[in-house]
Amino acid sequence: MKRRDFLKFIGIGGVGAGAGFVLGKVSKPPGAKLIPYLIPPEDIVPGVATWYASVCTLCGAGCGTLVRVMEGRAKKVEGNPGHPVNRGGLCALGQSSVQALYNPDRITKPLKRKGPRGSGEYAEITWDEALKTLAGNLTELKSKNESEKLHLLASPLGGTIDRLAGEFVSAFGSSNYSHYGLFQRKNLAFANLSAMGTASVPHYDIENTKYLLSFGADFASTWVSPVNYSNGYGKMRQGAGERGKLVQVEPRLSLTGASADEWVPAKPGTEALLALAIANTIVEKGLARDASAWRGVLSRYKAKDAASVCDVSVERIEAMAVEFARTRPSLAIAGDSVSSYENGVSGAIAVNILNQVAGNIGIIGGVMPNGDDLGNGKKIDFGRKISTLISAANAGKIKTLIVYGANPVFTTPKAARLEEALSKVPFIASFSSFMDETTAHADIILPAHTSLEDWGDDFPDPGVAAPVASLIQPVVGPVFDTKSLGDIFIELAKAVGGNVAGKINAPNFAEYLKASWKGLYSRNREMAAGTLGFEDFWNKALQRGGWWGPSRKRTATVSARAGEHLAGTPARFEGEEAQYPFYLIPYAQTAYMDGRGANLPWLQELPDPMTSVVWGTWVEINPKTAASLGLKEGDMVNIESPFGKISAPVYLYPGIRPDTVAVPIGQGHSHYGRYAKGRGANPIEILPFKEDPLSGEAALNSTRVRITRGATGERMVKMEGSTKELGRGIVQTVSPSEFKRMKKEVV
Amino acid sequence: MAPHHMSDNQTGNAISYKEVNDDVVRTMTETGKWYYIALAGAFSGFLAFWILPWAYQIYKGQGVSGLNTPDFWGIYLTNFVFWIGISHSGTLLSAILFITKTPWRRSIYRSAEAMTFFSVATAAVFIFVHMGRPWNFYWTMPYPNQRQLWLNFQSPLMFDVFAISTYATSSMIFLYFGSIPDLAAVRDRVTGWRKQVYSALALGWRGTDSEWHWLFKAYTFFAVFIIPLAVSVHSIVSWDFALSKVPGLAKTIFAPYFVVGAIYSGSAGIVTLMIIFRKAMKIEKYITLNHFDKLGMLLLVMSLLWSYINVIEVFTGWYANTSAENETLIYRMFTTPYAYMFWLMIVTNTILPLLFIFKKCRTSILACLVVSLGINVGMWLERYLILTTSLPRKFLPYMWHDYIPSWVEISMTLGSFCFFAMLFLLFVKLWPSVSIYEVKEDIGIPMRRGGGHH
Amino acid sequence: MPGFLERIAGKLKSYREPGYYTKLDHKWTMVIDLDKCNGCEACVVACYAENNLPVVGKEQCEKSRAFSWLRIERYVEGEYPDVKVKFIPVMCQHCMKAPCETGCPVYATYHNQDGLNVQVYNRCVGTFTCATYCTYDVRRFNWFTYKWPKPLEAQLNPDVSVREMGVMEKCTFCIQRIRSAKDTAKDEARPVKDGDIKPACSQSCPTGAIYFGDMQDPESVVAKLAKSPRRYRLLEELNADPSVIYLKRVMGDGTSSHE
Repeated sequence: MKRRDFLKFIGIGGVGAGAGFVLGKVSKPPGAKLIPYLIPPEDIVPGVATWYASVCTLCGAGCGTLVRVMEGRAKKVEGNPGHPVNRGGLCALGQSSVQALYNPDRITKPLKRKGPRGSGEYAEITWDEALKTLAGNLTELKSKNESEKLHLLASPLGGTIDRLAGEFVSAFGSSNYSHYGLFQRKNLAFANLSAMGTASVPHYDIENTKYLLSFGADFASTWVSPVNYSNGYGKMRQGAGERGKLVQVEPRLSLTGASADEWVPAKPGTEALLALAIANTIVEKGLARDASAWRGVLSRYKAKDAASVCDVSVERIEAMAVEFARTRPSLAIAGDSVSSYENGVSGAIAVNILNQVAGNIGIIGGVMPNGDDLGNGKKIDFGRKISTLISAANAGKIKTLIVYGANPVFTTPKAARLEEALSKVPFIASFSSFMDETTAHADIILPAHTSLEDWGDDFPDPGVAAPVASLIQPVVGPVFDTKSLGDIFIELAKAVGGNVAGKINAPNFAEYLKASWKGLYSRNREMAAGTLGFEDFWNKALQRGGWWGPSRKRTATVSARAGEHLAGTPARFEGEEAQYPFYLIPYAQTAYMDGRGANLPWLQELPDPMTSVVWGTWVEINPKTAASLGLKEGDMVNIESPFGKISAPVYLYPGIRPDTVAVPIGQGHSHYGRYAKGRGANPIEILPFKEDPLSGEAALNSTRVRITRGATGERMVKMEGSTKELGRGIVQTVSPSEFKRMKKEVV
Repeated sequence: MAPHHMSDNQTGNAISYKEVNDDVVRTMTETGKWYYIALAGAFSGFLAFWILPWAYQIYKGQGVSGLNTPDFWGIYLTNFVFWIGISHSGTLLSAILFITKTPWRRSIYRSAEAMTFFSVATAAVFIFVHMGRPWNFYWTMPYPNQRQLWLNFQSPLMFDVFAISTYATSSMIFLYFGSIPDLAAVRDRVTGWRKQVYSALALGWRGTDSEWHWLFKAYTFFAVFIIPLAVSVHSIVSWDFALSKVPGLAKTIFAPYFVVGAIYSGSAGIVTLMIIFRKAMKIEKYITLNHFDKLGMLLLVMSLLWSYINVIEVFTGWYANTSAENETLIYRMFTTPYAYMFWLMIVTNTILPLLFIFKKCRTSILACLVVSLGINVGMWLERYLILTTSLPRKFLPYMWHDYIPSWVEISMTLGSFCFFAMLFLLFVKLWPSVSIYEVKEDIGIPMRRGGGHH
Repeated sequence: MPGFLERIAGKLKSYREPGYYTKLDHKWTMVIDLDKCNGCEACVVACYAENNLPVVGKEQCEKSRAFSWLRIERYVEGEYPDVKVKFIPVMCQHCMKAPCETGCPVYATYHNQDGLNVQVYNRCVGTFTCATYCTYDVRRFNWFTYKWPKPLEAQLNPDVSVREMGVMEKCTFCIQRIRSAKDTAKDEARPVKDGDIKPACSQSCPTGAIYFGDMQDPESVVAKLAKSPRRYRLLEELNADPSVIYLKRVMGDGTSSHE
């Protein structure tokens, strides 16, 4: 780059970032003006970094971030050390959000479909035309009195943008606003609603627990709030107190399982029974703290019955029970190996009962229920499932579908026939910034900003047993001709007019957000402490990344009512065992999560922590199973369920049950940019279309498969040379007893 | 020069002095069709197999080779060591045999010395080939500069720079000094542009007693000087590897191992070259079976030495009994494809040369050709194995990664042989490739006329 | 002339003072608690983001030419169901007796006054010697000139140079952060405080397993942690005297009391 160009670029970035931060006019295209550097913008000094506090939106955890900006460019996203959710750390996915911002495959302008649906052929249009087209479509719907036929499908949004979207839909006259994501954790929320009365994931106080019994919760990689839990994990292991123990129950040793002291590979689908058997053993041995309501129900789950069903010895169940009850405090968490089944709610409730029996609820180092501290009144509508949307579309009840963030075409099984349903929707609009599989079906695309360019806020769910409100602010000017998501709704409301425009009458989303926070401020008196009015509070919040208050301890009791939802039988898997001998465990990979990370080059090249595979999909098979099938590492196999077939290369993985195979979710995109497209396979495709009937959460562990040798295909590339340490003392260890002795000596 | 007796006559038949001059000058002036074909072949091979791929590599980056993390050294360095090895016996042999006054040296030493020089040149180019930024090669030289950048004299590569440049210079001078009387002889026989060139090269040699005296002194000095130099050069080359900590490379025995290996492969190289050379140039009467008999003995001795050190090397690795050494040995000796190479090397370098115990084999041109070629293949494999079976099995097993050479590397390996052949072909045309005056010493005093040596 | 000679003599004398070669301004040290590390690889991405590491693609990854200056090595022991998996983050160990430093003929890699093993990209001629000598396989080579498709290049960190084809590179302990912390301290007329400097990996680590500081400061966190009985260094028997100290993972001996 020439020096002159370089200076020019600095100028452009400067205008963008300055305008974004000061005025909120983020939609101004970059390069509209070049300001000579005689009078540089206040927050831009060449060579000196400016840090903006914001929130990571790549998953739902809501980690606070600090974004390093130089010359109007976002350089790095780091965890905000002051933020109570992540306390300075940030996961691989979150740190890659700069690559989402500067992704070369972003949708740079509003698009209108040219070719047939799904072909991905689009023509560029102006924002005026795009808004006019969509508004015209909506006005027509309204004039025909078919307002109810507008559906808005979004990723699980939170905070003010969620309220705005909801307001827009309801002001338009429709009640169809639903959220969808592969990992919405609705099972946990539902279980907690029925058990403890709040439909939210509680705060698991991993930091202070001394015995963590995790039912397949892969919190080291993606589960619920990975950075928060990992931070707790670090302190649990080597914090001030005694070292806590981690026991992982799951059929496939996950990244978290790799750090566990004990791995209990119970039979897939039976883990909830194991949890109940442990609870019952605690009761039977008289170690229970509060089992009054549960004695009767639990007596059905004898350790010796469970032993054969779960493939875990009676002695081990009893030992776990004793240790779980005696170690104070202990904590059981309901991860994927109880909640990813068709009766996931039941599994999560079983774990709640276990916590209740051991007396872990509402204590430090146990389960700390979250409440609606800030009075947001957010509710999860368990009735809104993707299946409802599909049947509505098939019944012609959807005339216009607006999609944002969610990518159901990729994350629902082929058996759901979602694409067929979408073909019956006359008009689909997408606000996505990326050409994902669902957006490729859209008739019109109005690309929204990524979160580094946009305003917003976030109320982390799960909370951290303390009130937290975080602010998202634009850290750079828009890279492309995109608009703030909130502004799209506001401008759309103006274009539609009528009561929609009347209801949503903010000049722009930044103002709308500020007004919303004014309400928050007036509702919560403690926010006012130490501030000189709202403006001062607002500026401080922007500076810090939000506002958070002191911890609030709540307690709850798992009510006997929750017992209604206990299934009491192992979760069912589709496919006959004789024909389909293996359980299929599709799991969220550390980097790609539900597939959203696959378009980010850093994450594609990030070796999977357990297999070291990069740029592709693999099938984890136990070496003994592979030997019996005559398979070597790297051999291509077909994985066939009653619902379809995918193929991927074999990875020999000793950390998996011989009757189980596991495939990471995230690859197998047919769109989604150059890094993701046409790479690997998507295991969701071959799943049955199953949801938990109560919560509507997708059941991922729900089918059996068979493995056959496949044609040669994509090669598997792994970074590891050998997994054997060969006694070279590379990763040295001390035994727990030795460690105890060491600690004594030091003290 | 040296005192001699009739019994020293290595050439067997009675040849007249004139005949010698005629024969040698003939190799330079009379050029057949096949020579041009061979030269054109070698030159185009050099161009196509070396220069073009190298240009491609410089343009694209070292990535076009098969090198990777941790196998940062591959065929390029193999070739470097191989050619340095080949270079070793020429001059070294010539010098040792000169000092020990071994008579059978006379008809072969000139081309052996040339071989040294050309293979050093070939090896030197490989240093540049294997560099990431060859255009900065001069940074490895100590030259005054404003930023006071200096070199790291701890680095064995630094030793290499000095050792090899000194060695190349000395061998060149050694070759040149020994050739002066012959260049004068050629000068006296040719006309036209050749006359001018050789007049200049002959430095006005007239063949006076004092000239002979000083030439002999200078030549002896260089012969003595070059022996420790040659030994040090290959020791230093070995230290490039041995000063690392890499299992399979960090061996104290490497210096003698490499020197022995170098002389071994160099002598085999001479044998091969002589067989081709005497046939192509029709000078069988100067390079006789007697020469091959002697060279065969040398090869046999070197083979035994080399095999002994090889066993010791494996033994020390095994005796250390560390995981790193063991894995390297297993990888080298029992893992495909390296096991094939290793055991082939043992066959060609240890077992096959045992044939030379028998005089029949030593004096059979076919046997000599087969064994010497075998040794050279084996010695190339030895260097290849040292690098490609040590680096892929370093200390952290997670980073183990095999090395597979790319077409660029293989092509440049072929190209280096073409380059060497090209240089040698030019040499035989432009330089008296058999020492005229020393062969005459062999012939002895002509019967009809008494007098001096010339 | 006498002045010049005196200067030389003085210099030679100073070289002979005990501790001349080992006396450092700082001794930056990293302590990694393997009992905290859960292998999530956040540090790896942080390193990519901070140090302008190129993404090379599947084919180059297959040739083992990925650029991760920091990698999480994973070792597996045992067979189902007694499988033990262990992680260890490995980056340049900044050895005090670094094998790589003796190898480089042009001093492109040397030890600086901060106890860091530094790599001068501009001086590197690409002999690969440092990388082959490195006992930890942490050096990465620019096999090609790598490109960032637009506008990804906007993310590149201006504090770190983008390397050209043919040079070697490796973990620097985020020397740009060390520099900026030192500058700030200088501006504020104070010495660098413990905790002023956090390399990208340490900053991002969700479990807080990576500590960084000056070993010469006895009050620093790393100096205290380095006294831990769990302390060990990677391949210590090779005597490279690495500046990265690992704390042993606490792990059962495989015979679970429940079986």
